[in-house]
Amino acid sequence: MDDLTKRLLQRLIRRMPAQMLKTTLEKWDRLTAAQQQSLDFTQPKWALIETLLTIFEENEFTVKHITELEMLHVINNPNQGMWHAFHLMDPDDTAITVELTQFKEQFKSHLRELVRHVSIKIKKHTDEAVWIRIAWGDGFSKPNHLKPTYVVHHLQTPYVFVTSLTSKQKPLLSQALTLSTRHQGIKDANLSGRKLTAIRDLLMKQYQQVFTTRYPSPLEETNQPVSNPRIEREQAGLLANRLQMACEAFGYGVLPQLQSAVYKLETKYKDDTNKTMTEREEPFRCVVKFASSNLLESIRQCASSGIASTPVTPLLSSIPIKGRNYFVIKDNGLGPS
Amino acid sequence: MARTPLNSIVAQRRSKSKSYRQSYRSCLGASSRLGLTPALTARRLNTSRRAPKSHNITEKLNPEQLALLTKTEWKMSYVTPLYQFRHTQLKSYSRQLSAFIAAEKQQGLAIEVEGSESSFRVSFSVLSGMAETDEDPETVLLQIFSKPMFARQDEPQRSVWSGWLACINGNPDYLRSLPKDFICLPLFGSYGPDALTSVVQSWFQQNFDCYFGPLEINHTIMPPLQITYTINPEDAWELWSSVRKVPQEEKEGKEEEGSSIDIDEVMRFMQGLKSHFYRHFRLDLSVGTLVQVSTALGSAKCNGRIKISNSRYMITTLTLLTEGALLKMPI
Repeated sequence: MDDLTKRLLQRLIRRMPAQMLKTTLEKWDRLTAAQQQSLDFTQPKWALIETLLTIFEENEFTVKHITELEMLHVINNPNQGMWHAFHLMDPDDTAITVELTQFKEQFKSHLRELVRHVSIKIKKHTDEAVWIRIAWGDGFSKPNHLKPTYVVHHLQTPYVFVTSLTSKQKPLLSQALTLSTRHQGIKDANLSGRKLTAIRDLLMKQYQQVFTTRYPSPLEETNQPVSNPRIEREQAGLLANRLQMACEAFGYGVLPQLQSAVYKLETKYKDDTNKTMTEREEPFRCVVKFASSNLLESIRQCASSGIASTPVTPLLSSIPIKGRNYFVIKDNGLGPS
Repeated sequence: MARTPLNSIVAQRRSKSKSYRQSYRSCLGASSRLGLTPALTARRLNTSRRAPKSHNITEKLNPEQLALLTKTEWKMSYVTPLYQFRHTQLKSYSRQLSAFIAAEKQQGLAIEVEGSESSFRVSFSVLSGMAETDEDPETVLLQIFSKPMFARQDEPQRSVWSGWLACINGNPDYLRSLPKDFICLPLFGSYGPDALTSVVQSWFQQNFDCYFGPLEINHTIMPPLQITYTINPEDAWELWSSVRKVPQEEKEGKEEEGSSIDIDEVMRFMQGLKSHFYRHFRLDLSVGTLVQVSTALGSAKCNGRIKISNSRYMITTLTLLTEGALLKMPI
């Protein structure tokens, strides 16, 4: 094994907790039972790496094997790194007929036409998702396996999820994807997050949906004894009303875990008490970023607790409705991106 | 930097002068101790101040010291006046504190610095040129270096902890009111392992009969939802100019020497930003807590961490913090 291969293995092992490494190696199923048993996962990481390096040399494993192990690890732990969603546009009539083998062949050949040195691995996961690992090189250098791009695509859907893609690689990947899925183009879906499952659920609407009704549903009556019935009733009414409005915007169930939403605002500054600013022609430019461990949940809470006025502003309810978390707002409404 | 609890807004409507004090106190994490000295505290409060002046500090400090001061995020504390602290005794203090740390280590203090076999060397020095008025005592810099047990002669020592004590533009009335033998360096900045910080603090407490307390720039409540609001600098400047009482035309070109900034201008500016935000998101920012403010000058976090990114306004920033530390102190 050369130095680069060793480094690749070391890096991969280092980022896996011991227990995860154990299960991943078992799933991978390329070590003999004896080798598997010789590994002591309670050892410190560096010692474990030494043992694994010896085993890998014994078995004459190469970069190919290590990337295979890495892919298995990434597929089983998809909620790491920053994932960006893309949207394929204008499908050809034959787009619906693209099946896995064909897609694999087409994608590889299109990308290889664009990039001389590139290493591509494609694997279908049980949930129908196609996982692609790309190690990029260029005219002169070999593929860099230390910084691979991961792409997840569900065949017959317009959605593509990508992590670790540079702006240089983006047009190359876009072209290979549109050609191999038989679409005319691809655009940024303005949605990104640390949890692949969450952004996929949001975009593919795989969570409990909200069906807005024109008329609010009747509120359930409560039969609690109250001290001052009139005030209590009014407060209970307000609370229930807020709750209902919050849930009408975001649903009642568990929401996909988004970490952030960004709004680029270029709107007029309006304030009756500030004539100078209100009369100014230029828009007031600012960027607002909302962040939380579960953003949609936090906003729903803000609305139901009264911190955010109800009904929830379309700017915020657009996140689940439009399935995006990056917006450019100008005075004529929601901009294209 | 001001925390804007709902009650301060309500109070503001009722009585203007009262609300200033409330929000100023809460801005520095009001403690009940402050309540015991209302007269003195009120005297030390500023509701109006001069516009910040830039200082060319690069001529006064050497580049190494300047880099240390401006490239580090400092954890801020306040310190009550030091009894019988002498700027002429720094060499001796260095030896004493080194010995103190060694003794603490022997008693089983765990200082997690790479290579536990190493010993520590303390260096006290004066950062001359930082003090602004004759009454400000000179700033003192403290550095702790680790010395590996088996280090070669030429091996450079590694700095593991830094700290400083300063008083910049300290309120002269307050400074003059102190009994003789007390040196007031109310601002303490530290960077490094907490264990070392607390050893240094307890050495000061034992030797100079002083007391350290956290200088929260605000209350530390992390809301479940964090909002970052970044305003285009030109637009922010225009909004600021629009809320100023005196038109700011004459100061074009020259430093706004002499112009003063009033707290209600600051509040109108903040209110302007909040209402613009509310108009879009229907979310009242006053409900939350302001946890961090960053500008080209630097950043201040509610947990008392500051970073100075522009040396020209370092003195102004430290002046404000000195004021805050004096205000926060129980005496």
